Amino acid sequence: MLKKVDKSSALFVVAAVVFFWIGGLLTTVAPPMLDKSWAKPAPALKDYATLAKEGDAHAAQVMEGRAIYVAEGCWYCHTQQTRTIEADTIRSGWRDVPSPVSTPDEFVYDQPHMFGTRRVGPDLSRVGGKYDAQWHATHFRDPRSLVPGSAMPPFPWIANDPQKLDALIAYIQSLGRSKDWRPEHDYEE
Amino acid sequence: MSIASTANPPRVGAAVEPAAHEDRTAFSFLLVAGLFFVVSGLVAIIIAAKLQMPTLLGNVSWLTYGRLRPIHTNGMLFGWLLAADMGLCYYLVPRLCGVKLWSEKLGLATLALWIVIILGAVVTLAMGMNQGLEYAELPLWLDVLVTLAWVMFGVNIFGTIATRKYTQMYVSLWYIMAAILWTAFVYIVGNFGTLFTSGVNQANLNWFYVHNAVGLIFTPLGLALGYYYIPKAAETPLYSHRLSMIGFWSLAFVYVWTGAHHMLHGPISQWLQTVAILFSVMLMIPVWTLVWNFLATMKGQWHQLQDNVPIKFLMAGTVFYLLTCFQGPMHSLRTVNAIVSKTDWIVGHAHMAVLGAFSFFAVAGAYYSVPRMLGTRLHSQKMANASFWLWLIGGLSFFVSLWIGGFLQGLQWNDPSIPFIDTVKFMAPFWTVRLLGGTLMFVGILLFFWNLLMTYTGRHERPAVS
Ligand code: HEC
Repeated sequence: MLKKVDKSSALFVVAAVVFFWIGGLLTTVAPPMLDKSWAKPAPALKDYATLAKEGDAHAAQVMEGRAIYVAEGCWYCHTQQTRTIEADTIRSGWRDVPSPVSTPDEFVYDQPHMFGTRRVGPDLSRVGGKYDAQWHATHFRDPRSLVPGSAMPPFPWIANDPQKLDALIAYIQSLGRSKDWRPEHDYEE
Repeated sequence: MSIASTANPPRVGAAVEPAAHEDRTAFSFLLVAGLFFVVSGLVAIIIAAKLQMPTLLGNVSWLTYGRLRPIHTNGMLFGWLLAADMGLCYYLVPRLCGVKLWSEKLGLATLALWIVIILGAVVTLAMGMNQGLEYAELPLWLDVLVTLAWVMFGVNIFGTIATRKYTQMYVSLWYIMAAILWTAFVYIVGNFGTLFTSGVNQANLNWFYVHNAVGLIFTPLGLALGYYYIPKAAETPLYSHRLSMIGFWSLAFVYVWTGAHHMLHGPISQWLQTVAILFSVMLMIPVWTLVWNFLATMKGQWHQLQDNVPIKFLMAGTVFYLLTCFQGPMHSLRTVNAIVSKTDWIVGHAHMAVLGAFSFFAVAGAYYSVPRMLGTRLHSQKMANASFWLWLIGGLSFFVSLWIGGFLQGLQWNDPSIPFIDTVKFMAPFWTVRLLGGTLMFVGILLFFWNLLMTYTGRHERPAVS
């Protein structure tokens, strides 16, 4: 068999593609069919894109902020997933309360997904409500003024544009909020 | 003697190259790739410096970290490495088939399109037109052009293979044919399939693409180069045809399953994570058979490491390949992953694969082939040798500093009593070494490009010695 494949390019092509598609289909098409939780939204999860289309001003702001987050490449430095690792839940937590781990139902409407791969800065999956709007405004203008030694770049063209700034803050404040996990519900606005 | 009887690439000087090769497409592709190598390298140094000086060029939106980084990654992957691999395919496929390239015109048209794509990528990314998916940042119209260029490349290569004079296909040809087909699927899933999905489902397709971009595009093309150039440059037969078959078919089967190891501990089904881990560990089979084959081919030839520059690159590349493919399965183990994932360790790992292994193979191919394409000798062996040492020393200091720094940072992250910002400040010395290593490599890139350029302009003054 292998010998034949060696000489016939047609046979080779068929074999190579079949080998590829066994794993290819089983790891891309099959999983969402087998695991329905990927597509089932969490009860409190807001579909901002649809809400924005229906005229919800706040939702439109969140969507605009999300677009900025994507365009400026914030996701190259920040992940949005509290993993099933204890330290992650504590770092994402608030005071002494660890945050819940991220689950697929929180991300059903994320397009594009923003899970990220690299943490130059901290994970943002539970950052919504952690700081107030003023903190973020100062932080985007000059991160080092609040956190000396930060590696985050300043974003003056956002900080100086009230519409963009409010939109980005609205998006950041929306992160992780489909789970209400703080005992005092003391989220910042 | 022909490859049909030996299953080896035709020997240098043997009368097995009846076709007179034009190599215009091959050479132009390599030169353009070299130019993008320079540009992407410069961007790399800027973003490495920005981590420590975040305000550097900080007031200009299109020079911000988040816009330059995708220019660097896309520039290196598509502008440099893939273009260089394609250029070398245009060179070696006709030689392995004993015929001319199917169409030089189509080849040059493909190059023109490729240049449009890369320039379009730089402009759109700088403007912040980013689709938000790793390695799939480019806007849809550019994705369509990439697909078109790939089809043009595929038609040319398959056209050449279909008209071949040698019936038996040398293993490099398998890897190239497979890479063309797999790439088509992988690229379509990663750039078009993701349009219709969201959330975890989309992330799964995204990682399928990212992982297989390296595993089923750059790996088979890089290995095709290794299989061709190691026996060629060392003028010795390949150790084992059978081993190369085992390596190829196990790679074809195993690689594609592993994408979800990018989401270990993340919000994705546990069983899918476990599948990805199992197959990641199995990757050792194709890797070790291949490395064994490459090293055994060098048996009795190791003295050539002294002064044969392409062999230096090929052997260093093989060792980097072995290391990077040992790290990969290790990272996928849950306990190790909990430490190194999301840290700079992974950045060191990824650079060793793309730069250490596959770029080394491509550079070896360029140094070996460009003089032969032009019927001349290399402008300067000394300069080529210097570029090797710059890359080796620069690369090692880059990789090792990020591994040490990343590993320690990962341990610190797992101790939540350490404030996050302290773990950022902790990276400063490692980032400095990385920047220095990167600068050395950049000088190596400049020497490489200059050498190719001078080989071209001085080609009539230095006729090849036959
Ligand atoms: C070069 C990497 C980098 C980029 C790009 C970047 N950040 Fe950051 N970010 C950091 C680092 C490092 C920190 C931690 C130090 C600090 O708070 O400034 C941080 C902190 C933050 C925090 C505070 C998190 C917390 O829990 O304290 C927020 C919110 C944030 N970044 C949002 C953004 C947004 C939005 C963008 C894009 C507009 C962005 N970052 C781009 C590196 C980056």
